[in-house]
Amino acid sequence: MAEPMLEVKRLTKSFGGLKAVADLSFAVEKGSIIGLIGPNGAGKTTVFNMVAGFLPPSAGEILLQGESLVGLKPYATTRKGVARTFQIVKPFRNLSVLENVTLAAFLRFAMRRQAQAEALRIIEKMGLTAKINSLANDLTLSEQKRLEIARALATGPKLLLLDEPMGGLNATEVDQAARLISEICRDGVTIIWVEHVLRAIMNTSHRVVVINYGAKIADGTPQEVVQNPDVIAAYLGKRAQPHAAD
Amino acid sequence: METLVQSIVSGVLTGSLYAMIGVGLTIVFGVMRIINMAHGDMVMLGMYGAFWAHASWKMDPFLSIVLWVPAGFLGGLFIYRFLLRKIVPAGELNTLLYTAGLSLFVANLALLIWSGDYRTIKLPYAIMPLRPMGIAVPIPLAIAFGLAILVTAGLYWFLVHTDTGRAVRATSQEPEAAALMGISVGRISMITFGLGTALACGAGVLLAPSLYLYPTVGEILVAKCFVIVVLGGLGSVPGAIAGGLILGLAESLGAVYVSVPYKDAIGFVIFLLVLLFRPAGLLGGGKS
Amino acid sequence: MKTVFTVLALVALLIAPLIVTDPFYVHLMIMVLMWTVLGVAWNILGGYAGQVSFGHSAFLGVGAYSTMILYLNLGISPWYGIVLGGLVSALIALPIGLICFRLRGPYFALSTLAVAEIVRLVALNWESLTNGPVGLLITTLPPVSLWGEPLNWESKTPFYYIIALIAAGALGITFLLARSRLGAYLLAIREDIDSAEAIGINTVQARVSALALSAFVAGVGGGFYAMYLRYVDPDAVFSISLSVEMVFIAVVGGLTTVIGPFIGAVFLVTLGETFRTHFLWGHLVFYGLFMMVAIRYMPEGIWGRVRKLIGNRVGVQNG
Repeated sequence: MAEPMLEVKRLTKSFGGLKAVADLSFAVEKGSIIGLIGPNGAGKTTVFNMVAGFLPPSAGEILLQGESLVGLKPYATTRKGVARTFQIVKPFRNLSVLENVTLAAFLRFAMRRQAQAEALRIIEKMGLTAKINSLANDLTLSEQKRLEIARALATGPKLLLLDEPMGGLNATEVDQAARLISEICRDGVTIIWVEHVLRAIMNTSHRVVVINYGAKIADGTPQEVVQNPDVIAAYLGKRAQPHAAD
Repeated sequence: METLVQSIVSGVLTGSLYAMIGVGLTIVFGVMRIINMAHGDMVMLGMYGAFWAHASWKMDPFLSIVLWVPAGFLGGLFIYRFLLRKIVPAGELNTLLYTAGLSLFVANLALLIWSGDYRTIKLPYAIMPLRPMGIAVPIPLAIAFGLAILVTAGLYWFLVHTDTGRAVRATSQEPEAAALMGISVGRISMITFGLGTALACGAGVLLAPSLYLYPTVGEILVAKCFVIVVLGGLGSVPGAIAGGLILGLAESLGAVYVSVPYKDAIGFVIFLLVLLFRPAGLLGGGKS
Repeated sequence: MKTVFTVLALVALLIAPLIVTDPFYVHLMIMVLMWTVLGVAWNILGGYAGQVSFGHSAFLGVGAYSTMILYLNLGISPWYGIVLGGLVSALIALPIGLICFRLRGPYFALSTLAVAEIVRLVALNWESLTNGPVGLLITTLPPVSLWGEPLNWESKTPFYYIIALIAAGALGITFLLARSRLGAYLLAIREDIDSAEAIGINTVQARVSALALSAFVAGVGGGFYAMYLRYVDPDAVFSISLSVEMVFIAVVGGLTTVIGPFIGAVFLVTLGETFRTHFLWGHLVFYGLFMMVAIRYMPEGIWGRVRKLIGNRVGVQNG
């Protein structure tokens, strides 16, 4: 089997006495989409923050194609090929869509002209061409989410971390986003995707990792995971006791 | 040994006044996240208030605190309500720049009206220092120390035992939660700014008999003030008190054991070190 | 269109002292150009990078003192010395940046204040180097010949052309910066520093670069200041007022614009001169007042507002 794109081994993050992520291990194969799901507060964004370099792990290893990412600052992990989006989008609000994406493209193209050309290409792919000169602040939420992804893509990542890209989107937008994510994967980017909209993630991911209270409780294909009793218990709680009739 | 004790005493005395100024600045930051660059100029106004009370009305400058602290409070209310309130939504940096402009305005207005000549207040009862146990204690500084403690104690009582005071503390910790509990954040902000200015003016009055007065004294004071509040943790009242005392001691001991000219620099070096290694303040009680 | 304007402006700059010969007005023009340079310096860091510094007089002063000391002690002609002064300022900016950029926003601003005060106190007390509070004085400037004719340092005209050259250079630097990758990166940092990091920008390196460039320009401005006034002392060049005036020019003129600092300088000098004649002290009162008015009603500055009215946006490529 080829070397995985990302390997997380015994990853732990403690905040004082609280273990946000506990001894988490999983691997992500190159060219696949991995869904990372779990109830609220399970530690998913903390995992992203550690992989992308925003938070140092308390213990454990993070390997990108065999190379350790631990201790690298966010810009350094991006340069190694890890791009991420934020759960609450953080575009450069007072800059235009084109400027937002060009800025990211500057990572690979030092000259403005080329960076801009690359930006235009990605903007087209994400369906934002009509809004090229609009200020990021003036976009709808769905457009801002696509801008967030466009910006991440412009850095030319090998691994893309998507943090709840579908939060706040309506059903049509969700389908549109799911198709986009599949396309990005087909273009050669490995994706780890945190999401609450289970329908989308179950239909699009190759594999799903479920975490609860910072620890992994399931790891398999969407079909396997959905039937896992631990997963069901985590999401729905234990089966309710029958009441006496009121 | 005697020099050491003397330095410590001087340091604590001056430190108490620094503390008072620092508390004013820190409560404003705690409640409104405003860094008021004009705070030092409020102290300057208090100083000149005491001076003119003494020169024009023959009032003992320390007595004039009864006049200038309420005036400072009202002035602070006014400044917040009519000037600052509209600026705060524009962000922390814009507010910082705005208060810098205000500082420039106030200091130069004072220069305009009162000229740049240095002034001093000469008190007949203050010529000879007290000498408890052989330690020289200048009388004006001793009186200032006593009154500073009184005022700070008064503030503490206010913050802990009155509803408004508790509302101030609540807003300082969690403005959103405070608003949800029915606290009028706008009103509390206004009152807090008034209090901060009142404390600054009061400290100015107390300092006046001990220092040379000149209109731009606010510049250096505000710089030192930030050292204090950062030392103690921005937003923390006990922290500001501790910070003020620490600065007073550091300067006093530094003047004796390091060198006199560089004593002012000590505060700033400590400031940078604290900002670098413990941005939440030495006591860790502040927000970074 | 812009090129036409630029050419016209450069021509006007060149012939101005030939038209306006009254030395008082030439002095005013020199002041405007010098303050433009200082405003440009602040604008690079405070405008484009969004890092508000209240201690920029440190770089001005270091440039001024370096130029003076190199001339008085080592005989280095100030016309090279000015550039060297700028380099010294840029050099001290490196450790200052590495320390202060660990902090953000208002905390950074305060730390620059602390640094500037420390520099002032060092200059005040390191008497063997700086002559302490007495300051340094130049009595004669070195003779320089242009096309066989020695320049007359008693007249203001040579100084005018020197500062005009420096100012044009400073504005040119801003223009190039705005179009460059670094310039774009600085705007990103100004907007959202975490997002900037996320797209691969080494924000510390970018900010330190901006600071070094800003310090260089301020140092060059300081060097000129020293040569023009022929006197420096710590309270004059390291004062907080000077720092605030630099902020004022950039803010009132228009942050993140190329021309903004020039407009701000015109405003500052006109205001200053108008009131200096009426008031002995405290003419800065109006600076404070206008800064408050600007932040309240025109946070984008005069030039920013003008551009808004003409329909442009403050963008990465616009000047």
